[in-house]
Amino acid sequence: MSRLELGFWSFPILLGLIFLRAPIGLAMFLCGLLGWIFAMNGNPTPILAKLKSETYTTFSNYSLTIIPMFLLMGQFATLSGMSSALFKAAESFLGHRRGGVAMASVGACAGFGAICGSSLATAATMSRVALPELKRYGYSGGFSTATLAAGGTLGILIPPSVILVIYAIITEQNIAKLFLAAFIPGILAAIGYVITISIYVRLYPGSAGTRPAVPMRERWKALAETWPVLVIFVVVVGGIYAGWFTPTEGAAIGAAGTGLVALVGGNLSWRILGEALIGTAKTTAMIFFIVLGAALYNNFLALSGAPQYLADFVLGQDYSPFFVLSVILVFYLIFGCVMDSLSMILLTVPIFFPVISGLDFGMTPEHVAIWFGILVLIVVEVGLITPPVGMNLFIINAMDRETPMTETYKAVMFFVGSDIVRVILLVAFPVITLFLIPA
Amino acid sequence: QEVTLSLHQFLPAQANVPKLILDVWADNVEAASDGRIKIDRFPSMQLGGRPPELMDQAIDGVADIVWTVVGYTPGRYPSTEVFELPFMMTDARAMSSAYWQMFEKHMKDTEFKDVHILGTWVHGPGMLHVNKEVKTPADMEGMKIRGGSRTVNILLEKMGATPVGMPVPAVPEGLSKGVIDGTTIPWEVTAALKVPELVGHHTEFEGNALYTLTFVLAMNKDRYEGLPADLQKVIDDNSGLEFSIFAGGTQADSDGPARALAVDNGNNIVTVSGADLDAWKEVSQPIFDEWVADMESKGIDGQALIDEARALMDAYEG
Amino acid sequence: MHRVVKWLSRASAVIGGIVLVILIVLTTLSIVGRELSKLGHALGESWFGQMLIASGIDEINGSYELTEAGVAFAIFAFFPVCQFYGQHATVDVFTSALPRRSLAWLRAFWEVVLAAIIVFISLRLYEGMLRYLGNGETTLFLQFPVWWSYAASVGAAAIASLTAIYCAWARIAEAATGRPILPEG
Ligand code: NA
Ligand code: NA
Repeated sequence: MSRLELGFWSFPILLGLIFLRAPIGLAMFLCGLLGWIFAMNGNPTPILAKLKSETYTTFSNYSLTIIPMFLLMGQFATLSGMSSALFKAAESFLGHRRGGVAMASVGACAGFGAICGSSLATAATMSRVALPELKRYGYSGGFSTATLAAGGTLGILIPPSVILVIYAIITEQNIAKLFLAAFIPGILAAIGYVITISIYVRLYPGSAGTRPAVPMRERWKALAETWPVLVIFVVVVGGIYAGWFTPTEGAAIGAAGTGLVALVGGNLSWRILGEALIGTAKTTAMIFFIVLGAALYNNFLALSGAPQYLADFVLGQDYSPFFVLSVILVFYLIFGCVMDSLSMILLTVPIFFPVISGLDFGMTPEHVAIWFGILVLIVVEVGLITPPVGMNLFIINAMDRETPMTETYKAVMFFVGSDIVRVILLVAFPVITLFLIPA
Repeated sequence: QEVTLSLHQFLPAQANVPKLILDVWADNVEAASDGRIKIDRFPSMQLGGRPPELMDQAIDGVADIVWTVVGYTPGRYPSTEVFELPFMMTDARAMSSAYWQMFEKHMKDTEFKDVHILGTWVHGPGMLHVNKEVKTPADMEGMKIRGGSRTVNILLEKMGATPVGMPVPAVPEGLSKGVIDGTTIPWEVTAALKVPELVGHHTEFEGNALYTLTFVLAMNKDRYEGLPADLQKVIDDNSGLEFSIFAGGTQADSDGPARALAVDNGNNIVTVSGADLDAWKEVSQPIFDEWVADMESKGIDGQALIDEARALMDAYEG
Repeated sequence: MHRVVKWLSRASAVIGGIVLVILIVLTTLSIVGRELSKLGHALGESWFGQMLIASGIDEINGSYELTEAGVAFAIFAFFPVCQFYGQHATVDVFTSALPRRSLAWLRAFWEVVLAAIIVFISLRLYEGMLRYLGNGETTLFLQFPVWWSYAASVGAAAIASLTAIYCAWARIAEAATGRPILPEG
């Protein structure tokens, strides 16, 4: 078998292993390992030698050190009570409207997303605060869990975002510019969810209760309580963009600052610090094992020449660029129903990015890369809430045992609908994503 | 084709070295073999690992051929540092020629015994790109400079400057954020990094280079030895002294257009000469002494290497 | 055994986490130092500027290399807890219809393969350490031997291997007896 054929065969085999419930990182690692051996005509020496340094090199990559730092920052943010401050502020402004408590949950998720780089952490943290309140004001189970699952995706859509960091590293793009580009689509997502909620409560009036309005003075007071979130967001994301420091340095400052807020607020005992570190450890190791497997697999794919062949083939077909882009995005939507977003990015961006870079969208290569990155980010995030496998859905359902999964599935389709409308808008009008980014 | 070889290196495909040197070499080899050799090119570390590991990748056969900066693996190839000493280099062709000859004589069966070397060369004159005018070593006092090599870092410290360690791609960000006040790189690299837009001053040294870096194009030994004799000959014919001189010369020639960009940008280009140049050389003299002492501890006669390199460069006729 | 492995994996995660926190503090101090030094040079002649310059406050040199080495160690140290709590990402959709017992055996199978790979990775890393031990390579800037960083990671990888082997055994026992041993999440 030629290297090229090996490359093409490896993909269905990899998917087969993953669907047989192999840990995703393991499946990629195995395919990469065997792929290298076969590509070297059965000689294992080169890959054995490569693996002497492969793990250390992957784990010590300076750009990737941003990930454990952002994750720890999210842990501290969770502990520091900022989530409840955000929810209170949003709720005091919106709570009395129809569906207002749900809208407030989305708003608080957006705020939390500004200091947390992960969707799952945002979904879990905000659920702890908002679920009891939603229940208290008579929101139906499925509607509540669906709202929080969708709101959780704002954790990654609004910068900082671990997935964007990974995308930036794979495609050699500027992290600061990607963060900036994600900002408007992130806000659009939040607005879309609020509109979805208002439509939903009109269609199903029984799914939401009401609540008396809060006096204006108290509203502003509640808002003022959220100042640490604003300060941290401005310093970290603003600082990275303004060039005060590199993204990794920004993540370090954010983690230190958030830790300090948790400490000063009296939320950080030794035991809790230990739990925060262990929580960070679990997610970090999970992410880096996938990163490691993907690195090995992607090196093998490059060696096989398959991505280049695919790119040359597609570019030779004279398809319209928007057609190719749409096919790729639909692929992500479908696969998002069964796979997690990080694995999808690591697995497929090295394959699709050369195709997209070769197409003429009438933009600079950097703009195309950023725009595609944001689109991919959004479609893989939709995957977090599409049934049957949606990590956010699972997390929140685990926190609300009374609500059957099917109820959540039904309600969340409205939010998926809003996501799809947004993707179409962003594809049709690249300027929404790019107008903040100098050409 | 009979043989497919992989060529792995760290720059993007459209950069000068891949485009003007490595691709030319690979195309020549392919053509001379009548299509029996095919060389797959993997830019930007596509086969994995980081630049310091390229040499090991060639030794182990992860890639068949690699192009790498010898200084990425400090301490492993000490003899090559003779070419990196400050103000050793006058001309990239002359030095690349000396480098190959000394490689064959001193390093082939010792430091480089684990790989088959196809070419050895250096880049054009390394110099300073700074945010204020620098004429004398005293002007460097207190400046933070990204140093290009181990010996440059030592030189910077001797002048009271602070060497800052950062990879080349981080230089534009470092300059624009004021993390560094300047960088040492040859002209050639400044264009892609947009350095002329980030600093206003450049300091060259008349007829001399502040420093240079040593490169090798290295092939897996078993892979080379396993080739049929006629294909080995194809590789040999395209490699060695002549190729090394071509590669070093091509890299130095790329300096011109990049320098023109800085001139067009209205930047201030200082050319250090005469007494000023002597002052720079004087500051750098202790580095030679320290290097010779360091080499001695490794059982290498450093002074002899310095003398031989100078003699070979003087004897070079382009 | 169970309690020993649990304690070991959690302790390993906390140690890795402390290294991470130290790096975060180091990086933050380095930035503060850099900004103060810039301020000092900007103020120049004034007494405050002179004081800042004279104090020698500046960024911490080589924090870049320390971060790389430290984070690599931390990530290896994070592996055991990920393993112990079954946190590796999987796709469950297509196997969720399997009978409980078959699913348990499937999990046990992958856990064994995973343990084998983690041990394999650790041994390769050890070989990598030996290579750098032998060839005298140092880091570019701080010029400390590269094998030091590898050695730290090898230590953490050893704990990861131990945990992985225990987890593989535990999953087999779970499948054989039908009783849960390892915690979920
Ligand atoms: Na975020
Ligand atoms: Na999904």
